Amino acid sequence: MRILVGVKRVVDYAVKVRVQNNTVDLSNVKMSLNPFCEIAVEEAVRLKEKKAADEVVAVSVGPKQCTETLRTALAMGCDRAIHIQTDRRTDYVDLQPFAVAHLFQKVVEQEEADLVLLGKQGIDSDCGQTGPMLAGLLGWPQVTFAAKMDLEGDGMMVERETDAGTETIKIPSLPAVVTCDLRLNEPRYATLPNIMKAKKKKVDTIAADDLGVDLEPHNPVLDIFEPPPRKEGITVESVDDLLDKLRNEAKVLK
Amino acid sequence: MLSASARVFVRRAVGTSHGHGSLRSSSSRLFSTASSSAGFDSYDDDSVTLTSLNSMFNPTEEHKALRSMLQTFVEREVEPQALEFNKKEIFNVDLFRKLGDSGMGILGLTVDPEYGGAGMDAAAVCVVHEELSYSDPAFCLSYLAHSLLLVNNLSTNGSHEQKQQFLPDICSGAKIGGMCMSEPNAGTDVLGMKSNAKYDAEKKGFILNGTKMWITNGTLTNDNDGSTGDCFLVYARTGEKKSDVTQFVVEKGMEGFSCGQKINDKLGMRASNTAELVFDNVFIPADTHVVGEVNGATLCMMRNLEIERLGLAAMALGIARRSLDEMKGYAGERSAFGASNLYQFGQVQKHIAESYAEYMAGRCYVYGVANSLDLSTYGNGLDADGTKLYCAQMSKNVADRAIQVMGGYGYVGEYVVERLWRDAKLLEIGGGTNESHHKNMCRDLRRMGRTPLD
Ligand SMILES: Cc1cc2nc3c(=O)[nH]c(=O)nc-3n(C[C@H](O)[C@H](O)[C@H](O)COP(=O)(O)OP(=O)(O)OC[C@H]3O[C@@H](n4cnc5c(N)ncnc54)[C@H](O)[C@@H]3O)c2cc1C
Repeated sequence: MRILVGVKRVVDYAVKVRVQNNTVDLSNVKMSLNPFCEIAVEEAVRLKEKKAADEVVAVSVGPKQCTETLRTALAMGCDRAIHIQTDRRTDYVDLQPFAVAHLFQKVVEQEEADLVLLGKQGIDSDCGQTGPMLAGLLGWPQVTFAAKMDLEGDGMMVERETDAGTETIKIPSLPAVVTCDLRLNEPRYATLPNIMKAKKKKVDTIAADDLGVDLEPHNPVLDIFEPPPRKEGITVESVDDLLDKLRNEAKVLK
Repeated sequence: MLSASARVFVRRAVGTSHGHGSLRSSSSRLFSTASSSAGFDSYDDDSVTLTSLNSMFNPTEEHKALRSMLQTFVEREVEPQALEFNKKEIFNVDLFRKLGDSGMGILGLTVDPEYGGAGMDAAAVCVVHEELSYSDPAFCLSYLAHSLLLVNNLSTNGSHEQKQQFLPDICSGAKIGGMCMSEPNAGTDVLGMKSNAKYDAEKKGFILNGTKMWITNGTLTNDNDGSTGDCFLVYARTGEKKSDVTQFVVEKGMEGFSCGQKINDKLGMRASNTAELVFDNVFIPADTHVVGEVNGATLCMMRNLEIERLGLAAMALGIARRSLDEMKGYAGERSAFGASNLYQFGQVQKHIAESYAEYMAGRCYVYGVANSLDLSTYGNGLDADGTKLYCAQMSKNVADRAIQVMGGYGYVGEYVVERLWRDAKLLEIGGGTNESHHKNMCRDLRRMGRTPLD
């Protein structure tokens, strides 16, 4: 079985982003592997370690620095990587999930992958659309928000997060697309010896423009602004006071 | 739509694994998340100046990846234990082993891969010491004693057979040890040491006697049970001349080798064990356990002190950077006299701005030296001393200002900076006192006479 894992390079979760010139300022900002993609990589590598998968291929769409993100995935245990290079910003402004899903479709077909693991969303644009769109384009079954995954026969059982708890879905047979949620696993570290080994693994670069996919964004972004600062709170005297305010000022209680 | 919501979400979702104590306000954001990428992070490098600084601190992709990997490790595993282990004054052996083969793989950082190491350079040494000390300088001191004083020394000065014999276990973390130079009555005046080893021609070995003091990793247990660490490089007199000193490998279990006492009640570096080690007629096989030439160890010593001092200077950088992060975070969120933050006050501005400038000056000095330091050569004493002299004091001052900016909170353990301040003090003593650096540096500078510096 060959697994393809999506690896997105995003602004590091710990960075407080600034908006400048009507866009998120990316200069001198720390960029990292999207935490949900990291979980996807971990899951794929575990499947390989269990000998359920023969090869794990990491795929990233973005600028040349994506190779660094791909190296992280390689250091975690992926076998090789494919970099679909584009200078478009990948945080929704210039390149949107629909186009990314099309790019992935090309690679999935080319690589004859049996399973595609993606993060449930990128923490930059928070769309959560690439996985479902890709499944749609490929005509494959999909499970989103995976919290637990077990191979079973030709397919797999996937427990997924829902608002009310979890539900377990059976995929009778692969191929399939699964997007990974937080509780699926705890990703390993890329250790120093593995970082060194990763240097020798293969990274193929393909120009996004050469894949025959329409990269233009279809949803124009009208405005980008920072969240308004939180207004200072007040201290209420008593529970009655609180209830009164919730009822009559905030009008959230009847 | 961009960022804020997702970030908050990820943070909340993973942050629950280590709850914060009551005193810690919601502003203590530093380590509230657990998940992040574990390797090759990158920066968008549009700005010319910052790019070149970044490449100074992370000269190659591997350095960048190493730093990033360590930041993740530190955040997830080092930070959550630092307060407790330092308070209780105990060494975290299990965590230490994770620096070896079962985890990070950095115990043999500078060692040739042939002997189980990672084959990295002086800049990598600085990256590791800076990052570990960002959270727990005491833990880092134990790392330094092991990876630089023992491992790097053996790897530089040992024979091929010795490296094959000793390095794999100490690089993997199966064995933990350090180096014994100082004695109860000889510290700065190291060649005034009294420990001695007499050659026994019949037994083909040396008989070692003496006491060594202040030995980091001297014991690995926390209950003063007399047990020693696993493996040490020990300096002892072997001749008449003051410089007739030889270096030996002494292993746990050798007859006559014991731990005199675990030294308790240290001001700082409390999660790093320090001990007095006793050598009572310890037999040292001459063919396997003598490192380098007999009577030739002063060179090994001086040579290894260079990278040790640079490592200690890098530890100071970690302390300073963390202190800065804590003080600027606090200053931004604390309101006083109607101002919504402390940045409004000129005196606080001075604390923060001067700290940052001094930290950056130290960082540039350290990485500047590291990037041009070839570990297989020596003769960089002036700047090894200089970086440590400057950075040790700098880190103590920066930690001091952080306490000041944070007021009463800064004075309390949970807010980290008081511990960093205590830890920073060690850097003015261990690996050479400030005064010894003055002495060494002026010896070198004086030798230059009127030759202009370039
Ligand atoms: C926590 C800790 C861990 C340590 N770990 C190790 C270790 O792993 N291995 C090891 O070998 N050692 C270790 N040391 C020892 C350390 O290197 C010594 O403490 C240090 O070299 C100073 O020696 P001393 O304590 O004997 O002080 P002294 O040398 O006695 O110094 C006392 C004072 O006199 C000053 N002084 C001495 N000579 C001169 C001079 N010529 N000119 C001007 N001033 C002078 C000193 O600067 C100092 O202010 C450690 C120490 C500590 C505290």
